[in-house]
Amino acid sequence: MARTTIPFGPQHPVLPEPIQLKLVLDDDIVVEAIPSIGYVHRGLEKLAEIKDLHQTVYIVERVCGICSFMHSMAYVRGIEELMGMQIPDRAEYLRVIWAEIGRIQSHLLWLGLIADAFGFESLFMETWKDREKILDLMEMTTGNRVIISANKIGGTTKDMTEEHFTSILNTMNFIEDKLKGVDKVFLNDYTVKKRLVGVGVLTKSDAEDLCCVGPTARASGIKYDLRKTGYSAYKYLDFEPLVDSQGDCYARTVVRVNEIHQSIDLIRQAISKIPKGDIAVPFKGVVTGDVISRLEQPRGEVIYYIKANGTKNLSRLKIRTPTFANIPSILKMAPGSQLADIPILILTVDPCISCTER
Amino acid sequence: MLQNFIVVEKQNIIEEIKKTKSEGYRFAAMTCDHVGDELELTYHFDLNYEMKNIRVVVNMNESIESISSIYGPAFLIENEFQDLYGVVFNGLIIDYKGNLYLSKDAPKAPMLKGEK
Repeated sequence: MARTTIPFGPQHPVLPEPIQLKLVLDDDIVVEAIPSIGYVHRGLEKLAEIKDLHQTVYIVERVCGICSFMHSMAYVRGIEELMGMQIPDRAEYLRVIWAEIGRIQSHLLWLGLIADAFGFESLFMETWKDREKILDLMEMTTGNRVIISANKIGGTTKDMTEEHFTSILNTMNFIEDKLKGVDKVFLNDYTVKKRLVGVGVLTKSDAEDLCCVGPTARASGIKYDLRKTGYSAYKYLDFEPLVDSQGDCYARTVVRVNEIHQSIDLIRQAISKIPKGDIAVPFKGVVTGDVISRLEQPRGEVIYYIKANGTKNLSRLKIRTPTFANIPSILKMAPGSQLADIPILILTVDPCISCTER
Repeated sequence: MLQNFIVVEKQNIIEEIKKTKSEGYRFAAMTCDHVGDELELTYHFDLNYEMKNIRVVVNMNESIESISSIYGPAFLIENEFQDLYGVVFNGLIIDYKGNLYLSKDAPKAPMLKGEK
């Protein structure tokens, strides 16, 4: 049978954002996939050269709505390192709490998307219903549900009260309880496993060759999680990277489900240890030099290269997002897969095109 | 301020990247910056949470060898810089020929300093 080339995307029911794969098919088996991006490129790196250092916080928060807080966290940490600023411990803990709240909402969002992709609508609704409780926490502590603007150079813009901590802990208990039911379906349901087990396998060796990051890498057995470097308040918390060895769509789901539990634990630890005190130090002086700032977002390692020349603007800001690092893995996973599995396979990388195209 | 930072000549970049690969480093990212009449290309690698940074400087009208035959995933970022800075990479494993992000009618090399 002659080979056929079909476009997958850029508009597709399972894709929240536009990306296209040109799929070369032999019958219904994919033999090659070539990605095509660039449908929503915004030039935010260029904008950062025009706006001043403080305005750039608001720009990087808008790289992505899902991991907005961690984008600004990576940026301000880079500037703080360039300036040799020591920010208060309380601010470091607050950043960890908001970062882990963000990771939970991101993973819950993803679980809903994957449930929707394999046609399990009630599971999708259950997951997103619980996610609303997490967004409530963001609104309660910052006034905003998505882009929370809680970071600034030198610390955080907002503090949390004891009442906030109590509400957060209550919500963690609630989510943990709800997950007992949801976990069971994602990890044990026959139809779910039929769609995920053995699909889109990425071996550890392939994941290493393709320089994968985040849950995509950890599901293939790579024990790599930048939080282990102990940035911010993670150095005070006890945890280990969560890995799986199967490298298939199911393994990527297992890792994310387990990471929600891990984030709940990290939030509890952080709240139990957070010291009293200031939440920021003043920004003084000029910024010069270049630095790399990295941290672990829900989708994996994000890298900020920041170059400053002593003026109020940056001379260069380069952002390498985790999805950008994980796109090549799709090119490896797709060949040999059935066309019907491609939507699931792409989704298990948790692609964020908004991040990728900055 | 970059840790483990070296500058290499353009003609030595492939050899240095091969050495980096043989040492077990993961390709993490790449940065391009427009400085005067030159482009600074900085390759960022990671091994056990430690970074290695290799910089090479090329003139605006020069091309450079792609590292995508050594680190496959580099093809994406090299194509990005072909679009946004106009630098040409020889031997790209997938070459979008300046149209990864930009349409045929878009302004060329919009990230160069001075471009709006």
